[in-house]
Amino acid sequence: MEIIAQLDKVSYLYPSSSDLVLKNISLEIRKGEFLGIIGPTGAGKTTLCLTLNGIVPQFYGGRFFGYATVAGLDTLSYPVSTFARYVGAVFEDPENQLLATSVENEIAFTLENLKVPREEIIARIPRVLAAVRLEGMEKKQPSELSGGQKQRLAIAAALAVQPALLILDEPTSQLDPVGSKEVFATIKELNRSLGITIVMVSHAAEEMAENADRIAILREGMIEKIGTPAEIYSQVEYLEQNALRPPQVAQTFALIARERISTGKIPVTLKEGLALLEPLKSYYRPSSLESTSYSSPTSPLISVKNLSHTYLSGTKALENVSLDIHSGEYLLIIGQNGAGKSTLVKHFLNLLSSTKGQVFIEGRPIENLSVSDLSRSIGYVAQNPDNQIFNITVEKEVSFALTNLGYPVKVVEERTSESLAAMGLLESRHLHPLSLSKGDRARVVIAAILAMEPKIIVFDEPTTGQDYQGAKAILEVTRQLHQMGKTIIVITHHLYLMPEYAQRVIIMGQGTILLDAPIRSAYHEIDLLSKTYLTPPQAVLISEDLAKLSGHRSDLLTPNEIASCFNYAIF
Amino acid sequence: MQSFNWQTVERDSFFTRLDFRTKLTIMIVITLIAFTWESPIAGGMLTFLVALSSLLVGVKVNYLATILKFMLPFQLILLIIMGFFNIEQVKHLTGKTELTTLLMIGNSKMSVEGTLYGLNIIFKTLTMVFIVPLVIFTTDLNKMIVSLTKARVPYKIVFIFSSTLRLFPLLAAESKGIIDAQRLRGLAIERMGWLKKARVYATIAVPLILNAMSKSQKLDLVLQSKAFSGDPNRTFLHESVLKFTDYLIMFCFVVLLLVVIVLYFWLGVGKFPWLIY
Amino acid sequence: MPFKVIPEGDERKIEEVNKCAIDGAPIAYIVVLAAIVTALSFIPFSIILGSGGAMPLSQAVFPLMGWLLGPIAGATASGIGTLVASFLSPLTVGNPVLSLVGPTVGSFLAGTMVVGKKRRGWWLGLSIILLIPFFLYSHRAIGQNGIPTNIFIAGTLIEWSGFLLFILPTRILFTRWITSSNLQLVALGLFGGTWMISGLSHLCAATLSYSIIGWPLAIWNMLIPVIPFENLIRSTVGMVIGVGVIAGLRAIGLVKSREAIY
Repeated sequence: MEIIAQLDKVSYLYPSSSDLVLKNISLEIRKGEFLGIIGPTGAGKTTLCLTLNGIVPQFYGGRFFGYATVAGLDTLSYPVSTFARYVGAVFEDPENQLLATSVENEIAFTLENLKVPREEIIARIPRVLAAVRLEGMEKKQPSELSGGQKQRLAIAAALAVQPALLILDEPTSQLDPVGSKEVFATIKELNRSLGITIVMVSHAAEEMAENADRIAILREGMIEKIGTPAEIYSQVEYLEQNALRPPQVAQTFALIARERISTGKIPVTLKEGLALLEPLKSYYRPSSLESTSYSSPTSPLISVKNLSHTYLSGTKALENVSLDIHSGEYLLIIGQNGAGKSTLVKHFLNLLSSTKGQVFIEGRPIENLSVSDLSRSIGYVAQNPDNQIFNITVEKEVSFALTNLGYPVKVVEERTSESLAAMGLLESRHLHPLSLSKGDRARVVIAAILAMEPKIIVFDEPTTGQDYQGAKAILEVTRQLHQMGKTIIVITHHLYLMPEYAQRVIIMGQGTILLDAPIRSAYHEIDLLSKTYLTPPQAVLISEDLAKLSGHRSDLLTPNEIASCFNYAIF
Repeated sequence: MQSFNWQTVERDSFFTRLDFRTKLTIMIVITLIAFTWESPIAGGMLTFLVALSSLLVGVKVNYLATILKFMLPFQLILLIIMGFFNIEQVKHLTGKTELTTLLMIGNSKMSVEGTLYGLNIIFKTLTMVFIVPLVIFTTDLNKMIVSLTKARVPYKIVFIFSSTLRLFPLLAAESKGIIDAQRLRGLAIERMGWLKKARVYATIAVPLILNAMSKSQKLDLVLQSKAFSGDPNRTFLHESVLKFTDYLIMFCFVVLLLVVIVLYFWLGVGKFPWLIY
Repeated sequence: MPFKVIPEGDERKIEEVNKCAIDGAPIAYIVVLAAIVTALSFIPFSIILGSGGAMPLSQAVFPLMGWLLGPIAGATASGIGTLVASFLSPLTVGNPVLSLVGPTVGSFLAGTMVVGKKRRGWWLGLSIILLIPFFLYSHRAIGQNGIPTNIFIAGTLIEWSGFLLFILPTRILFTRWITSSNLQLVALGLFGGTWMISGLSHLCAATLSYSIIGWPLAIWNMLIPVIPFENLIRSTVGMVIGVGVIAGLRAIGLVKSREAIY
């Protein structure tokens, strides 16, 4: 098979690094293949991708060892602009990589830089738009597109140069499930139908298992393993030891295999997994699991009565929403972008006024309370913690709100220290918050909110843009806060992460509450979830299939729960 | 915050079809003429012509009315100040030793000459503001960008201009998010005096700038991967061609400017006393 | 420094790519800061007592653009940011041609505050050029409009104080303070620098606007306390923003523009 790109003993040191970021990497990328690259944070995945278009090392400098060739050209012998013709690149943040004021201009941009004749540019635009299913959107502004559409536009712009190779660095990590699905479908189509060679970094294990031809595991700058998805993702123990998440179906079967039940191979796609369930049904004995339905005799902490909100543009964001949230709950709100989740939460914070209906907090109507007054009762952690950092030391950041609210100096000092200790930030108190890692910056914001001792804390998309380790770390903080007695509300798309944390789920769609139920039953409302374009975790789908096969119903949520229902001794 | 979309008129007219370079020439010439003239009559005619042209090409009357409404308090104050206090300057301009009283309040006199001078300033500033929608709203952004490049404006500058237009709404939305985040940390902005508010607003700029600068590194990568070098020697999807009409109009306006300047200095056309004193 | 893993491949000679920059400042930096200037043009943070209008937050950051990017790139960012703002809302910003003067001059002058050998002589040439608007302004006010000299001097406090601070070693002192690792000195440098630069850019902008409006003596008297007070606010806000930004940029470890002075 033709080799489109080759790395031969490539090592690289950034100017500011103390050690090599890539170490003796040798890799051949075949024409038409879909190569997935996975690895923990800091493994060198982005650096590896940027080696393929010459940006590493030409843009950064540093020290480079070995040879990298793309389309037969040595990446150090030709300028970066030459490789723009052969390598298309799509990055993580959809907003940051779209520079033009219209869709067609975005596609034309690279072609104009490469001096492609105008007539040719005009001819290519509709073709690439059709390839990514954005036909007819030439004149639209990027701001009018959804997240998924923006990434597809970025792909179209990369495609327009007719590249030999398309590199995508975490293209779906900032997207909602619909956007993510669209992007994966587009990439798959480009690979299968048009034969475009794909190199993609992604943590989306389930999708990578379905689509990739090969997976390379990068760790500490070295390729540790490379093989088919079946070969790589079935090594569940190895992946977990290296802070990587295997597809849930693989996890499930690996755990079943530990019960000394032979499953044959470990499947890595849901289809394979479901096909292997039939012979296993005889080992399956689910116990009845308690649904942690939450009911409290006390009056609700937050009460929403017939809330409606229509924006000035006429968009109906919320329609007749009613719900009660009690003290000590851990609530998960899910739904597509535009379902009304953030709008609902903004009403809790009085950042928006209702068109109709009311919101009460501890029995008091929210419209009587200012946003700053409410901050003593309800804290809000936004998706991007950097927008919530205003001070030059961690300590000042944490004490910021207390000073604003007029607490005495002694109280400010005490509460600041307590919050810092709770978030493990005491040693960082004098550092600038921006010098910390992304995860620690999020902790700074949480500590700052915690210092106000709110009863309720809202986390808005805390797991978006995070790798598995990062997402788990944030969720562990939510668990810690929940154990401290706080009422936690989390908005997220990552359903597979939540079963260990949330008790109750609200599914929103088109501004209404479609379902309000304990997590166990909510996750098994497969039809409802698919209507809102949400995919339940693979473990839930496996559980559903097991229920059909065995005739025993048990709403299982996680691979561990499923595996615990298998018993070798039964047979 | 107001809405900041790039506005364009709905009507397709002779003026909208002109090249942006032509319109830029018109804007510069009109601005210079407005700057030069001191006569309220000449200034008033110019303002009227620019406003009428704007309406004819499709700029909404509401928009012009909003401008007038916004500027009205300042204009009225200016008129009153000039009427009451502009004495020496108008004496010098009119060659009069005594000014004509328009209004007496106590011992203070509001002069006709001072008021007319105030009117001159009002017309000047209105012209300089009205010319902007006339030129900008009638130009397609894509054609503007190509036109500027063809006018030998360095492509890097043109690129910065168009990218700023793309990025600014994102920052505007982010600044609102930052204000909300501060309110959620107990800052009762709505209850603050303007001095404290000023301090708060200042702190909005810090995270806004830092986040933007962090993103700029990624942006640099994106530009590299798209073969961007700032080289003006590139192709363009959109076209901007100067036709005979464009050349003719540019020529006419340049000649107009020269004529205005000559008449101003030679015959005093457009000077403050013209047609009045 | 020894590597943990020895590279097996041959070490290669790297020819660094010619990064797209203006005067050593990456285009990407200029783009985002221009967008910042546009965004801040629409955030009023104070009433301009003189005109009754609102003082946009962007006025406090024009010098900062020069210190972050250098004179040419800083002036580009401020100029284009203001231009875009005036195109989007001439109501708020005014005529594009006239509104460009203050921002571009301010950022340019700020960027010329250097301590090294490079461009150290620029201040002299600029000081001579700045005498031109001084002359035009005073000629129009005193010569043509009969404003008494003492009133003119009192009314141009921020202009001539800015000019004096610029030509005296205070310019270098402010620069050294801004480059200091001590944030308190940085704050002093930013305050003094913003006062100085705002005064000089006000000189250029006021020369132009005075030639259009030509305010009478009574207004001169009224503005004597007002303009310095406005400049004080501008300098204070510029200091607050500047300290936060410079501390943050140092913490992030962002690669500096070649002509940056922080």
